[in-house]
Amino acid sequence: MSVDIFLSLLTAAFALMVVFSKKTVVAAFALLMTLLTIAIIYFQVGTVFLSAVQVLVNAGAIAILFVFVMMLINLEQFPNNREKNKMKLIITSFTVLVIMGVLALVINNNIEMLSVENLTDNSMKALFDKLFTAYYLPFELATMLLLAAIVACIVITSHEKHEKHEKEELLETEKNR
Amino acid sequence: MSIYYYLSAFLFCLGLLGITFKKDLISMLLCLELMLGGVALLFILFSKATGFIDAQLMVIFMMIISACEVAIGLSLIIALYRKKQTIYTNDIKILTE
Repeated sequence: MSVDIFLSLLTAAFALMVVFSKKTVVAAFALLMTLLTIAIIYFQVGTVFLSAVQVLVNAGAIAILFVFVMMLINLEQFPNNREKNKMKLIITSFTVLVIMGVLALVINNNIEMLSVENLTDNSMKALFDKLFTAYYLPFELATMLLLAAIVACIVITSHEKHEKHEKEELLETEKNR
Repeated sequence: MSIYYYLSAFLFCLGLLGITFKKDLISMLLCLELMLGGVALLFILFSKATGFIDAQLMVIFMMIISACEVAIGLSLIIALYRKKQTIYTNDIKILTE
């Protein structure tokens, strides 16, 4: 039980660092630590495979991708400043607090039903039996989605072809003159 | 184990707060990842509590979709930076001008 509380406090502390740190790079590494502690929670709950996937995909790829993009953009001219409008800040904080209170109330009312551990068959075999039979079509569609995302990233970030066209058009207009 | 439910609600609300009061797009994407982390944790806990293994599969699909979302979002930020030299949301309110 004490391990649960310790892990929760650690995750909450890193999550607070993500939102309230001044430097964006620090926020990115705090996000990396948050995802790693969530992976530890997965491991502690018993879903071992998803814990490994969380470390590999979310912490290893996504959080590092943020750091790579920060290297491409000169972040020193963009300090991580927050909303200057005090009224808006107060209203959003109040709204989020109300949402958090409602969620805590809902959890509190159903805590006996939720804290029962019903899942006995926790093996990877049960997971993949379901994934490759009932969820086969969504799985294939997800691979197509990843492929489309790769192509979209290349198309969005590459602008050489566009510039070439513009240069050719400029040259042609100059020739016509 | 029940304290993790509160943790997932906390992560979701903190990410929501960050998205509403951050100004630059990279920090907003970071907060979006925080929200997704909270929801994925909730799915895992539901799978444990109800004995319903499909929820774990949903987490796998959620990871795939969040990877796509982050990749495309970051490439859009790079394209925006090349075109306008800014990542602040205040500078790109072209529809309100």
